[in-house]
Amino acid sequence: MHTPHNAHVKRLLAALIILFVIGFFAKQAFQPKSFGKYGHYRADAIMEEANRPMRLMTNPSCVKCHPYEAGHQMTGLHKTISCEFCHGAYADHIKDGKKIGTLPVKRNAEITTLCLRCHNRAIEARPKQVIKTVVMPDHLRAQKVDEKHSCNQCHYVHAPLKYINHSKKIMGLI
Amino acid sequence: MKNSTKILDEDRRSFIKKVLKGTIAGSLLLVIPAGGNALEDIPAQIPGIRDKEWDMSKKRFAFIVDITRCIGCGSCCVADKREYNVPDHNYRTWVERYLKDFDDNIYVDCPNGGLDGYQKPREDLDVPIRDTFFVPKLCNMCKDAPCTQVCPVGATFTTPDGFVIVDSKRCVGCGYCIQACPYSVRFLNPVTKTAEKCTWCYHRVRKGMLPACVNVCPTGARKFGDLNDKESEVSKILSGPGVITVLKKEMGTDPSLYYIGARREVI
Repeated sequence: MHTPHNAHVKRLLAALIILFVIGFFAKQAFQPKSFGKYGHYRADAIMEEANRPMRLMTNPSCVKCHPYEAGHQMTGLHKTISCEFCHGAYADHIKDGKKIGTLPVKRNAEITTLCLRCHNRAIEARPKQVIKTVVMPDHLRAQKVDEKHSCNQCHYVHAPLKYINHSKKIMGLI
Repeated sequence: MKNSTKILDEDRRSFIKKVLKGTIAGSLLLVIPAGGNALEDIPAQIPGIRDKEWDMSKKRFAFIVDITRCIGCGSCCVADKREYNVPDHNYRTWVERYLKDFDDNIYVDCPNGGLDGYQKPREDLDVPIRDTFFVPKLCNMCKDAPCTQVCPVGATFTTPDGFVIVDSKRCVGCGYCIQACPYSVRFLNPVTKTAEKCTWCYHRVRKGMLPACVNVCPTGARKFGDLNDKESEVSKILSGPGVITVLKKEMGTDPSLYYIGARREVI
């Protein structure tokens, strides 16, 4: 049987064309629509990330329903502390304007642990101009109180020196 | 007599009606959501972003960590875990404790990523310590990011506004980017099996809010802002005097995360 001498070239070209067509349609089918709009990635992923719901909603969102505590917090020495750091995330408490859960309130020994996260002088690298620190239990001894006392028995946690200074004023100490 | 009972009956009827109305209205109030986005009532923390068309190319954000102000309380780590529900033992941001002795040896520890704070001083060292400081770590948002170059499927990329983020729908979890990151900020999420990293809270920034860790920092050790806004705190710091460093400069990654007060041993 006689075959033309360029048959292999034709076969190769046909195979290449078929491959190209398959590749073209496969790309259409499998590549996401927004891929390549800005670069080698899916451009829609940017908006998907931007639309992720926020879980921590900052202090002003807490003030709306808890004006008493916030009133002390926002005017006291603890005004830079986020409510959600001690109490938990807004999203665990409120959803679509409705209460869905109760955030825990720290008590007794838990409070002392929480306070000492920042105010423990045993950890160095806490400069005086940044934060006031204490040595425990020396501070309790110096104040002549029981060593089992937790911090909140003297300090109101939302405004730590407010009532202490107030009582000192009444006593004429300052 | 007859008249008075009639009045009493009418009174009773209107009273019951009122009670019923009140009950129904009250219960409806509990069932129907108040509606509206809670975000609308909260003031924006970064000016000029919310309710504006987002121009991808007009923003140039920078993050500054002031080591001299960090007290190692770990509130940033807690906020970060809460914002993203990060699985245990994985950290998008963490705080390291550095100790330096008189021979300039460096001892670093980081129990649970600083999530529980630093309650105790290090007791396993016998040498006298001359310098202690905390170093918060997070994504450096490299302008020439090694992690985006190696991704085989285009799942991680730098957005036109300069954030390096991960497309979790496209990520195949090969872990190449985790190997490539010189700062070890990436990890494989054990739940979704995709790569995850600090995004500088891209979703919050787009809503005009500060990243979660910046918002909760009680001492202002973390600062965030737009460098194209000449009034922002970060552009004032970066255009002023003072020693400002980046981590692993020799890697050529050109980070957007700057440190104030970082000793040369910090890596």
